[in-house]
This record gives sequence, structure tokens and C-alpha cells, in this order.
Amino acid sequence: MRTNATRTRRAVLAAVGVATAVGLLAGCGSSTPGEAAGGGGGSDGKTTVQFWHRTFTPVENEWYDDIIKKFNASQDKITVVGTEVPADAWDQKMKAAQAAGKAPDVYTFSASIHDAVGAGQLYDLGKVIDKSKLDEIIDAAKPIAQLDGTYYTYPLLLEPQTVLFWNKDLVSAAGVDAEKGPTTWAELMAACAKIQPTLKSGQYCISPAADAVTFAWSTVGQQYNFSGHTALTDDWTAPNIDDPGYRDLMAQYKELWDKGYMPKQALAAYVEGKDFGEGKVAYKVSGSWMMSEIGSDFPDLLGKTGIGAFPNAPGADGRSATTLGNFRWVIDAKSKNPEAAGQFIEWALAGDPQLLVPFFTGTQFTKVPVRASVQDAVAADDGASKAPWSRIIVDEIVPKAIPEPAYPWDVSLAVGTAMESVMKGAASPDDAIRTADEAIKKVISRDGLPEKAPKK
Amino acid sequence: MTTETIERRRIIAERAPAIRRPRRRYRDTRLAYLMLAPVVVLLGIFVVWPAVYAGFLSFQDWSFYKDPEFVGWRNYVNVVTDPLFLATIGRGFVFVLMTVPIMLVLAFLFASLVVSVSRRFATVLKVGIYIPTIISAVIASIIFVLIYNYSGGLLNAGLAMVGLDPVAWIGDPAWALVAVAVPAIWLGMGLTSLIMVAAMVDIPGEYYEAAAMEGADWWQKTVYITIPQMKNVFLYLLITGFVAAIQQFELPLVMTQGGPLDSTTLPNLFIFNHFRNDVNVGYSIAAALLLFVVLGSVSAIVFKFVNSERLVD
Repeated sequence: MRTNATRTRRAVLAAVGVATAVGLLAGCGSSTPGEAAGGGGGSDGKTTVQFWHRTFTPVENEWYDDIIKKFNASQDKITVVGTEVPADAWDQKMKAAQAAGKAPDVYTFSASIHDAVGAGQLYDLGKVIDKSKLDEIIDAAKPIAQLDGTYYTYPLLLEPQTVLFWNKDLVSAAGVDAEKGPTTWAELMAACAKIQPTLKSGQYCISPAADAVTFAWSTVGQQYNFSGHTALTDDWTAPNIDDPGYRDLMAQYKELWDKGYMPKQALAAYVEGKDFGEGKVAYKVSGSWMMSEIGSDFPDLLGKTGIGAFPNAPGADGRSATTLGNFRWVIDAKSKNPEAAGQFIEWALAGDPQLLVPFFTGTQFTKVPVRASVQDAVAADDGASKAPWSRIIVDEIVPKAIPEPAYPWDVSLAVGTAMESVMKGAASPDDAIRTADEAIKKVISRDGLPEKAPKK
Repeated sequence: MTTETIERRRIIAERAPAIRRPRRRYRDTRLAYLMLAPVVVLLGIFVVWPAVYAGFLSFQDWSFYKDPEFVGWRNYVNVVTDPLFLATIGRGFVFVLMTVPIMLVLAFLFASLVVSVSRRFATVLKVGIYIPTIISAVIASIIFVLIYNYSGGLLNAGLAMVGLDPVAWIGDPAWALVAVAVPAIWLGMGLTSLIMVAAMVDIPGEYYEAAAMEGADWWQKTVYITIPQMKNVFLYLLITGFVAAIQQFELPLVMTQGGPLDSTTLPNLFIFNHFRNDVNVGYSIAAALLLFVVLGSVSAIVFKFVNSERLVD
């Protein structure tokens, strides 16, 4: 009996051991996000398209949900499954999916098209979207949509990444013109000299970009404004930052810092308007999207908010001080259903303009459509007349804005680090530029940039 | 019963266990392997194979979309010649020096207090010190960001009360790493203290009684009895504290994103940022493997110079 009991116990233990191993391994193989259901074909014979989109503002998220529902209801052959991914988790989630070969079929995209195409990440949209639809994309959006004549992305919007907002109450209380923003850095400094003494403790004249990463992407337009070029020579063979323009730009930020016009530690991220909404700053530098945040989170401030182009360098000569940010939709190169994915993009972004109007009206007319027909439809909306900033963005800022740089991120980051170093007094302009120069040269040789330079 | 029979039985009796023992051992061994199987299989799949594959990929250029392309030592050369990587390793050591010694000293003092108070009060102290350990590092980061807030933060509000100007705790490169070290110490104190309490409780009371009879004071008891008796525990806490500190990741990620001016970019955050931003993953993998080498080497050196010894009762 004892022997039997021992055997039974051993058998049970062994079974538990094996079951545990099997169970754990089975757990490891559970469904992976982003994997097309049933290899792309649903049990009802429909093709499934996985679509990942970032978490944006509530109105944008609603539009994404809505457009997916409408597409699924409009036909019975394709089912789009939408997944909203928090913006701060996007990179790691996408990398993990890509590493497993299970990236979604369609996703939102804002990175360099140059790098992504070089890595073989993007599907040629010309194969699945009608050429006439791709030709509708306006010229300002073409640099971010196609490379050497091949379309890889379909932009949803364009938006200036560097816009000046001001609190009319705080500005006028200091005797500064509240209806018109400063057009040059000299005017901005003069305004701050007047405003700063009128502010309470904890309030500041301006909240601009203040860290290397934000400088890296948000000041490319200002670099162009000050020096007439961006950080690399046209043929991508050398850095192009050792000039008076770059030095002058850094000096302006240092003056803001040294005179205490800006806080020594950011009160809110560049991309959000919390510090402005709470009345802690008179001027705020951010993207045009901040206006929609003011509209939704600080509606009382909407009528008291001024908006204008970012101040210019003394010799700007009409050059813009902002890049055009964007969000595009792409098809993953490994998608098993590129045709279905293409149909979805064509229907949602290149189809009926009225489908896109709620997106642009909901975001307070702060973003610019990439098709003339959609621009007209948005302008015809009743709300457009109540959003005077819309004209400033569309007519004054966007036409001059330059596209985001196509060179690798590390180049931008080297410049951003130099700017922060000079601003905070951690390095002299000469030393900071020399360090950035070296870092950029390293990227040029590491990534073989001369061979990848855009063809003229 | 003949002598021969008795002798045979004796031999059988002697041999019997010898025969049975290997069989029993064999059966137990099989069961042991079965019980080990889940762990071995999981380790194989999630540790051994990825490590081997990472070693293979570190010599490749791979973007997930194209076949890996062999590039020899290029990724490693890129990493070791990158001043940012070298700076981040150096910063990791500075962070270790900022956190581990302070944590060990504070935990030792705390443990000394716990073993010298009443049992009930000791329980209260132990629960109190352990609470930060069960708080997520992400939550702790957010709490400390609020404390360090430039305008309206608790710390600067305190400074304002005594008439001092606000300090950019996580905006000034001179302060940022210190500002990250404080929650790291706070989070790590609980477990370190409890391990020290356990080690102190284990020291035989006779030693202290004998020392007391010789007229030793608290300081002498601590220096000649407590600290030598806890040598192995210190060694364990030193190694684990070092590895945990140099691999700190969540705090700088949430609190400062590595800024300002990379002053809080610790090695793992540096590798993570490259993994997120780079099109090809070879650089990140080579950097991770090099960090592994650095950690392993330092741990080996610590073990070499501070040998663990069996306590002598």
C-alpha cells in the first residue's frame, strides 16, 4: 500500500511538473497583439486589417474610432480592428511587434520616411492606392509622403510645430500689444522686459523648448530661420552648424535663460499647454495643436489666447521658423493584406472629404488637411468663422513652413544638446558647436549618409 | 540455521541497501529532472537562447524587415568609441556611489534601531520601512516629480518658506542625478534594512553578553562583533545594490527622460533609447552585451577582494 501511495504521489508530482511546463509554454504562445486574426482571414470569410493609432486628444481618438466603425459598416469584405496605443508606449510596443514579425497592417507614422524606407519597413502605396488619389496630396505634404517619386505614406494632416501663443490678459497688463505678437526676437525680449516685472512669483514670461530632445525636433525651423539651412550640407557629407546663425540662435535662448524670462525647469512639456492654461506663462511656444487642448481643457482661455508665427531672426529674410509636423498612415511592408489595408486608407483619407471634416473641426481648426478638397470642405464649416486662428495657421504659417528634416535623428539630437548646453551655461557656444560637429561627423560615417542623401 | 546461511543473510542484508539505494536515487533523480524541467525549459527559451541569438545579432545589421547582414565587430567598435556610451557607464558608477553606500549605512543604522527596541515597536518600524519597497518605481517617480516641481512643488515651497529661491531639481544638470538618487535610496531601503535586521538577529546574544562583561560600549560591540558577523550579508547587499543601481531604469525614464543634458542617462536608459530610436538594433544589442561584461567584471572583482567566509561560531 505504501509503495502504491508513493508511486501515486510521484505520478501526481510528475504530472504536475509536466503540466506546469506545458502550461507555462502554452501561456508563452498566447495571442500576440498586432497579429492578424487567423492569418488575416476571419471565420466569416472577411479579411481582417489590424490598425494601430496613437492616443491623441479625446476628439481625435473619437474620430479614429468612428472612422473605423464607418468603414466596417460601409462594406462586408474587410474588418478593420483598431487599437489605440498610448503615445509613450508606442515605440516599445511597435518595436516588440516588429521584432516578432507581427507589426499591424496599418499604423500612424511620424518618423523619417527616409530611414523607414531604407530599412524596408514601408509598403509602396502606389501598388494598392489609385494614383489619382495619391496625386491629390498637396505639394507641402509631398516631401513627407513620397521618396524619389514612390508614395509610402498617406498624410492625414500637417501642423506647424513651432507657434507662439500668448495670454492676452497677462500681456496687456504689462502694456504690451495683445493683438499682435512679437515678430522678431528683439521684440520678444523687449516684451519680456516689460512683462516679467508685472508677474507674480511662479509666473514667467515665456515657456519655450528647454531640453535637448525638444530642441532637437522643434527648433529645426528656427535653425533655418537664423542660418538659411539646417544641420547638414545638402549632400550630407558634413555638418553645417558652425556659423553665426547657429551661434546667434543659441545666444537668444541663453538670454531668455539668464534673464529669468523662462523657468529653470519646464513647467509642462513642450507639446502640452498645461502651464499656459494655468496662467503660469505669458507666452508659450508649442505646436499649433495646443489650441485644441486650450479649447477642450481651458475653454475660458480660448478667447484670451493670441496666436502667431514664431519670432524671426534679425536677418531671416522671410524664412519660416517652423517645420511642419504631421501624422501619416502607412502599410507595413510585412502586411499579409496590403490590398485590404490600401482600400481602408483610400476610403478613409483619400475618399469623401466629409469623412475628414469632423477631425479638423473637432481639433479647433489647428491642423491643415493635405487635400485641397478637404481644405475647402473644412473652410466651409460654420465653426471656421469662429476660429480666427485658423486663418493665421493656414494662410500665414503653413505656406512658408519647411518639412521636417530627412536626416537621422541623432543629427538633430546633437544640435539640440548643443543648444541646451549653451543655454544652461554648461558649455560655450564654440565648445558646444565643436562637440555637436564631432557627433554629427560620427553619425555621417556610421550611417554612410553621403550615399543616402536625397537626390536633387 | 547454519553458519553459512547466517553469513549469506548478512551479506544479503548488507548488500540490500546497496542495491536498493541506487534504484531509489535513480527514481528520485528522474523526478528531480521532471520538476526542474519547467524552469530549465523556460530558462532555455527566455535566457539561454536569446543570449546566444543576441550574441549572433550583435555582429549583424538588422532592421526587422531585411535579412541580417554580417558587419563583423562594427557594432562593438561603434559602441566603445561612442563618448556618450562611455559617459553613461561612468555616470552609472557615480550613481552607484551616490546610492549604495548611503543606503547600506542608513539601513545598518535602521536595523540597529530595530533590534534594540521593543518587539511591537520593531514590527511597526519594519512595516514602515518596507512600504516603499512594494510601491511601484513608476508611482514613486511620479510622486517625486511632483515634489521636485519647479513651480508649486513641495520642496521648492519649503525653500520659499525660508526665503530661498526655487531650485530646478530635475532641470539643472548639477542636481538632477542627486534628485533621482533620493527615490532610488528610498525604494531600496526596505529590503536592505530587513535583510540587515535578519542578519543582526542571527548573531548569538552570548557575544554581546561577553562583550558587556568586558565593559564594551555600543560602538565597540558594533565594530568588533556586529559588522564582522554581517560580512557575508554586506557582500550580498553590496553586489545586489551595485547591480540594481547601475541598472536603474524606471526612475530616470519617468522623472527626467535622461536629461537635462544626459545628466541622468544611466546605461540601461541609454540602451533603451537607442533601441527605441535606431532603425537597426545591432548597436543596442552590442551595448547591452558590453554592459553585461562590465557588470560581470565588477561583480567578479568585488568577490575577489571581499571573499565570503563561513562564520565561526
